[in-house]
Amino acid sequence: MGNQRTAIAGEPVVRISTLAPRQKFPGALARNAPAYLFLLPWFIGFFGLTLGPALVSLFLSFTDYNLLQPPHLVGLDNYARIATGDDKFISSMKVTLFYVICSVPLKLVFALAVALLLNRGIKGLPVYRAIFYLPSLLGSSVAIAVLWRQLFDSDGVVNTILWQFGIEGPSWISNPNYSLYTLIVLAIWQFGSPMIIFLAGLRQIPIDMYEAASLDGASKTRIFFKITLPLLTPVIFFNAVVQTIDAFKAFTPAYVISSGTGGPIDSTLFYTLYLYQEGFGYFRMGYAAALAWILVIIIAVFTAFSFLSARYWVHYDE
Amino acid sequence: MTFTIDRRQFLIGTATTLALGAASLNRASAATSIRFLWWGSKERADRTHNAMTLYQSKNPDVSIEGESFGWDNYWTRLATQAAGGNAPDLIQMDYRYIFEYARRGALLDFTPYLDKSLKISDFGQANIDSGKVDGKLYGVNLGVNSSAVMVNTIAWKEAGVDAPTNGTTWDDFAETCAKLTKAKKRRSFYGTADASGLEPAFEGWLRQRGKALYTNDGNLAFDAKDTAGWFDYWSKLREMEACVPADMQALDQQTIETSMISQGKATISFAHSNQFVGYQAINKEKLGMISYPVPADDAKPGQYLKPSMLMSVSATSKNADAAVAFVNFLVEDPDGAKALGVERGVPASEKIRNELTPDLDDLGKEMADYIQMLTPKVGTLPPPPPNGAGENGFFLKKVAEEVAFGKLSTDEGGAKFAEQAAANLKRG
Repeated sequence: MGNQRTAIAGEPVVRISTLAPRQKFPGALARNAPAYLFLLPWFIGFFGLTLGPALVSLFLSFTDYNLLQPPHLVGLDNYARIATGDDKFISSMKVTLFYVICSVPLKLVFALAVALLLNRGIKGLPVYRAIFYLPSLLGSSVAIAVLWRQLFDSDGVVNTILWQFGIEGPSWISNPNYSLYTLIVLAIWQFGSPMIIFLAGLRQIPIDMYEAASLDGASKTRIFFKITLPLLTPVIFFNAVVQTIDAFKAFTPAYVISSGTGGPIDSTLFYTLYLYQEGFGYFRMGYAAALAWILVIIIAVFTAFSFLSARYWVHYDE
Repeated sequence: MTFTIDRRQFLIGTATTLALGAASLNRASAATSIRFLWWGSKERADRTHNAMTLYQSKNPDVSIEGESFGWDNYWTRLATQAAGGNAPDLIQMDYRYIFEYARRGALLDFTPYLDKSLKISDFGQANIDSGKVDGKLYGVNLGVNSSAVMVNTIAWKEAGVDAPTNGTTWDDFAETCAKLTKAKKRRSFYGTADASGLEPAFEGWLRQRGKALYTNDGNLAFDAKDTAGWFDYWSKLREMEACVPADMQALDQQTIETSMISQGKATISFAHSNQFVGYQAINKEKLGMISYPVPADDAKPGQYLKPSMLMSVSATSKNADAAVAFVNFLVEDPDGAKALGVERGVPASEKIRNELTPDLDDLGKEMADYIQMLTPKVGTLPPPPPNGAGENGFFLKKVAEEVAFGKLSTDEGGAKFAEQAAANLKRG
């Protein structure tokens, strides 16, 4: 292993020494050329697969593009329709906001609780950590969404268990009163990645603070609220921002559980699912692009507010 | 292991890669290679692959690649590929979408090929015209079908109730289905699926009353009252427990696999006659097939014969000639037609029908008999669905669910559907 590292690292050094004397690049660029070379795949990906398509979609949002014919500019028509005459925009935004507001805090509380449990120096910690992290790896996969269907179906696992207690449960995923909650539960279940970050954060809190507090006779709850939580706020802030953005973009679970319909009665019609239907289902790619940009703005506003609020509750170690 | 590449190795490597790349390019241009995209069940995929293999063994210079998806994913796939300039050469088309694609210039006009490499004159004018848009031929009829009602015959025998038959009235249909539910031979098992959100069933109901979904000029041919009447009928069935409850029906994604009959929740599902093969393939119990219930004795079922699906060729296909030849193989060559059987509907070509009939299995015969029984009772093919019709199909399901879950009254549901459906057409 060590050998290999030196070999890889050693190679570019040789190249630089052959390049430099020729003065092909201005000094700084030449010195950094290898770095740029190594970054090239990322640059290609960023410009070709992220920035490029994003700019194209911005352009398309001002057109009537229908996938099959060349786009025509329609000015602000798409945005005007979103602002004034689109019930589905409002209903899908409500569904998405409800999902974000319910799933993000619950997920963070759950992740923090599990992280606290795991932070007690139990034996076999890496194993538990891996097990709890597993759902996050599988989380956005189609297979898990299919599994969720099986669990919450009318004669699925959940209802079979309820049946044992004499309760006849509804068909959770196909009843508009419950279907969104099954998706929220699915999101909470994927608490692994914030949990890992919390765990790392907890490890950063100096032990001597705890020792001092317990010497002074502080209760466990007091220690948690006066030491752990304040010192953890930067990590909580980070997790909250990342998870909120993720929740706004959620697509796969709703798509699979409702077979792309957002049903029953649009109860699982996430914003992303709606824009997907508009673009790919009804050939209104220009309109879908406008919807996508509205989502970008909404996420940006949410994130900005989070950062503004941060100065009042996030404590950075000075 | 060390990770070093000297200049010579680099050159050799690059040269090899280029050579291999060139070789594969040669291979691709030597054989005419075409791509075929379709939707459907596994049964259909097996049959289609058989037909493709047969064709390739007869024409070794042609290679055909096939890809299949479920109905709902299919249209997004096709739209994406077409938008990316990567449309498949052979496109399985539906009557509902052919106008959208043809008018947007995505499909090849078959007219110059007629009676040359595409010899379909024995289809009969009506079956040829069903693939025409604005006077040009964009689709070749892959099989004739009609709407149909699938019936689990075993469950009815078990319950000791006489199953509905061809010509059963809607009222009798409700009564007998309620009886079946009452027999309670199986746990949470009902007479019929709830078809209130199923566009073809609604269309049949309208046509039985002298209405239709759309007029020739692309407007609604029904009103709020008609829709409310339809919702009323199904609300009554829900109350009588003749049909499945709302949260059960919501599991039905309008595919064979998720239908109430295949899920073992009901004895009856509303479907299309060509799907009989697909339904029977995943239902262990013997199925039967009848026409839609009727408003009164001796009334016609409001149905019509239509192309169950069409074959189209992409306007941008580089191998259009080869693609058209393969289409001809599927519909006019006995070998190709036999490989497909009647799973996509009864062939439009009389010659092929006659060739196929003696070899048909029982399922195929039942389907052919159904079409024959229906033929004297059918009406004319409705006018082409306008842009926005596809969205209305999904919208009916949503409003029907709102009524079924009690969020809207039947009158409110009727008004909402008629109003929004008209707005969708306007938007296109």
